[in-house]
Amino acid sequence: MQFAQICDRVETDAATAGPADVSSLTGVWVNSNPDTNGIARMVMSEAGGKLSIQVYAVGPEGLIDWGAADAQVFMSSPSSRVVAGFTCLYDFGFAETRLQAMIMKGLIVLAEFHSFKDGSRRADYFVREYFALAHGRY
Amino acid sequence: MTQPFEFKQSGHLNPALTDPAARTLNADKLTGRWVNTNRETRGIAEIRIEQGSERFSVSAAGVGADGPVAWPKTGATALANLEEEAGQRAVALAATFDFGFMRAETYLRVNKGVLVIVLFNTFRDESGRSDYVNREFFYRQD
Repeated sequence: MQFAQICDRVETDAATAGPADVSSLTGVWVNSNPDTNGIARMVMSEAGGKLSIQVYAVGPEGLIDWGAADAQVFMSSPSSRVVAGFTCLYDFGFAETRLQAMIMKGLIVLAEFHSFKDGSRRADYFVREYFALAHGRY
Repeated sequence: MTQPFEFKQSGHLNPALTDPAARTLNADKLTGRWVNTNRETRGIAEIRIEQGSERFSVSAAGVGADGPVAWPKTGATALANLEEEAGQRAVALAATFDFGFMRAETYLRVNKGVLVIVLFNTFRDESGRSDYVNREFFYRQD
């Protein structure tokens, strides 16, 4: 088994691994910062074991629906089936936004990478935001 | 910002994005040799970040069974960081290491003098290993 760091040398059984349970991610995730000028909320859903994300971002005149995108799911270790994060890519034509998320203590810590492709001379930029799952329990 | 720029969120219209200084702000806070704060790590032992005339490069050494495993040096994209990190705002880096059997998408940033790297590792070798995310911390050792 090839590895680039010793933590990747693990015993696995590909035949019995099965799909990951992504149910812990499904629902509506709301930005902890009510004054954000970025992503306001993310709606995550699962179909056939695949995770899909729909982003709503803050615009000058209300929320902007980015549409749905497929997400790649990541576990907490090479031998784990516990979901610990996801990534996805939105290509808007004039710009690309890559999302990289980690789950920590019930929060999603979302790193956003915005790259402009329109020659507007805007700097590519990075933002980190926090999202909580709207559970309606309290 | 007065031009009719396209946007998908208000952040895309932040005037700070057209400030050329945003692309290189405090880049020197990132460059150098960084050592894992966890001496028992089974992941990355150290990272070296260099700044060339055009862009950054990142190399690393993973902890191996019989000594360090050299990771290939890779180019890194500098990203303006609009967050305030304890008054020490600096650019962040995005870099991808491609090992063939595995791909590691990373981002690196400095917070209060600590280099934080987050790795999203994808296996492509049918080994049955799970793609996983990991985060490690490094202190500067020039």
